[in-house]
Amino acid sequence: MVAHGTIAFDTLTTSDQVNTGTEKSIDTSYVFNGVAKVWNNINGTGTIAIRDSFNVGSITDNGTGDYTHTYSNAMASVNQANGGFARVNSYFGFLGGVIDDTFTTTSMRHATNRHDTMNYADAVIATVTIHGDLA
Amino acid sequence: MSTLLLNTLTGKTSAGSIVVTGEGGSTTTNMQQGLAKAWTNFNGTGTIAHRDSFNCGTLTDQGTGQYDINFTSNMASANHCPTANSNAYNATNNFNSSAFCPVGTSHSSMTGNTASNTSLGSFESGGAYQDAELNFVSVDGDLA
Repeated sequence: MVAHGTIAFDTLTTSDQVNTGTEKSIDTSYVFNGVAKVWNNINGTGTIAIRDSFNVGSITDNGTGDYTHTYSNAMASVNQANGGFARVNSYFGFLGGVIDDTFTTTSMRHATNRHDTMNYADAVIATVTIHGDLA
Repeated sequence: MSTLLLNTLTGKTSAGSIVVTGEGGSTTTNMQQGLAKAWTNFNGTGTIAHRDSFNCGTLTDQGTGQYDINFTSNMASANHCPTANSNAYNATNNFNSSAFCPVGTSHSSMTGNTASNTSLGSFESGGAYQDAELNFVSVDGDLA
């Protein structure tokens, strides 16, 4: 085994042993463009808390069912892509946007909503994943 | 160096951390933590089955619109970060773009996520679990 602190390369080729045992190549642009830049699993009830996360510095409780996830390392622009979902107490839930206030380069704000009324409701669990370019 | 041929990537300083430079060239990120650890596209109707997947073993049908997705390689804890969507609907409520929700004890006999699986439900606008033909799930988090 050769250990290097830093190497620069454009293409990564592996045996893909787990799936097929055959050689597969991937341009390294897929590696750094394709990895999630942020993910967060929070408890949004009471004193809100992060269960586990990546590249999240803090979360803010903006009111009932309204949260801001602040990144440790900033994104390059506001043009990010996110996925996520939620469950709220006693109801199915949705992860929704907050009007006129969603992405900045350093944070993402969203709501969690009841399935029936669409009203904001605190989330027992809300998960968020952010893709995009880091600064 | 344009092509690197190898079978395993392991961090030198910390085995579980390989730093990659971000697209903007000024920030770095941890490659391992950013990689999706599991994903699946599965049919949740009839005999449920993966259409295609990564690091997903068996699917368990927990009843109408309720599923356990069992990992091939376990996560480090139950606190992983699943995101999902489905197309649950029924004729009465006519809602054809329903979302998943993480299943918990208030909605199901299932206990929720564990290190070895993620538990999900698809539901329609009337608030009832509903089988969904199209289900898309991606799981981030730390592998064991």
